[in-house]
Amino acid sequence: MTRLRFERMILLAALTALGIVWILFSREEVSRSRAVVLTEAPIVGHLAPDFTLATPLGEEVSLTDFVDRDGDSGQPVVLNYWASWCGPCRMETPEFQNTSLKFKNRVAILGINQGESAQKVTEFGISYGLTYPLLVDEDSAVNQKYGVNSLPTTIFIDRKGVVREVFVGILNQAVLEDRLNRLLEEG
Amino acid sequence: MYPVINLGPFVLPTAGLLYILGAWFSLSWVEKAAKQLGLNPERVYGVAVTALVGGLIGARLTFAAIYWQAFQHNLLGIIWPLNTGYNLWGGLVIGVAAGFFYGRYHQLHPASTLDALAPGLIFGLIVVSLADFLAGPGFGTLTRVPWAITQYSMRRHPVQVYEILVGLAALFVWWRLRDQRTVAGQAFLMSVSVYSGGRLLVDAFRDNAWLSGGGYHILQIISLAVMIVCLYLAARLGETAVQRRQDSHQENH
Repeated sequence: MTRLRFERMILLAALTALGIVWILFSREEVSRSRAVVLTEAPIVGHLAPDFTLATPLGEEVSLTDFVDRDGDSGQPVVLNYWASWCGPCRMETPEFQNTSLKFKNRVAILGINQGESAQKVTEFGISYGLTYPLLVDEDSAVNQKYGVNSLPTTIFIDRKGVVREVFVGILNQAVLEDRLNRLLEEG
Repeated sequence: MYPVINLGPFVLPTAGLLYILGAWFSLSWVEKAAKQLGLNPERVYGVAVTALVGGLIGARLTFAAIYWQAFQHNLLGIIWPLNTGYNLWGGLVIGVAAGFFYGRYHQLHPASTLDALAPGLIFGLIVVSLADFLAGPGFGTLTRVPWAITQYSMRRHPVQVYEILVGLAALFVWWRLRDQRTVAGQAFLMSVSVYSGGRLLVDAFRDNAWLSGGGYHILQIISLAVMIVCLYLAARLGETAVQRRQDSHQENH
């Protein structure tokens, strides 16, 4: 019994040593930028496709106004795709408004409408008292570019312009804060 | 790859659908395994359901506690919508505690109960990998191996498929030990150690792994610890069983 126990202990120690070697071998360079090898695509881990859309007042807004692909001066961006006829979108809109106030000047929240006129977008913004930018995408070109086929869809983009999460469905303020805190903590 | 499934006018999230089907199948398997191991299936099923429901509630409440400022003026938000907003560690601790106390209350034999729970647990983990493969954000490292898959326009290791294979290997071990185990708890410990060892191996091929500050794969560290503890306990259980057999043999003579 003692010999068997000794052999088992040796085996366990050997397995532990092998495991540690494998963990050391698998270690990654933390500072590496995964986006370097990736192309533009609305997919997690890729560079978010750039776009330029106008607010109902005609002011043009681009993704690259906020993110900085080559430097560290960018800020995380949240793209929230919505439409005025979409019930779940209306439910989550106040959560986005509260979050935008809480993270003002640290995170950009952009509400991208799907296929509606500037007037509809304006009416929606006024009815909910929204202060974050609502963008008009009347021909849904940017919606298509991002492959949005279900509303609401929310896309989290880090300060380097890399897509970090694509979320289909309703979000609440707590989840938004959770994701944004993580993006901000990454520095 | 397939974040949603379109069924006519309905758009269903693939991952959510898989989790529901996976939970149902896992629970059914636990009940069947309990019957095969000669345990009370209703009670063992009760442990699994209690752990699952306790885990979900615990994960949600922990998340709500962490982000209480966001919930304090919207208490309904704690219970709806439930499609996201869970804390993994809170869920694990409360789920395990709930299952443990249910088992204690009904005086179930811990090692035998774990043997019956093992296939459900491992199958649940397989479903998580499958959901990640079909609809999740996970992807493998770049490779030129013949079985590489094109994911996000690059040839990559199908890391979630590796995880599924690891799970199937662990289920095979459980199935082999189910009828041949020499001591209660052996099937659970050996299948979990095989699963942990496999995840330790394949997590090296995950490109979006959960990393520590030093760049180490946290899942690999957890897997190594779980594997060693399970193997150690399995060895101890085996020794105890052999000792008992020898003692009873001597008494008979």
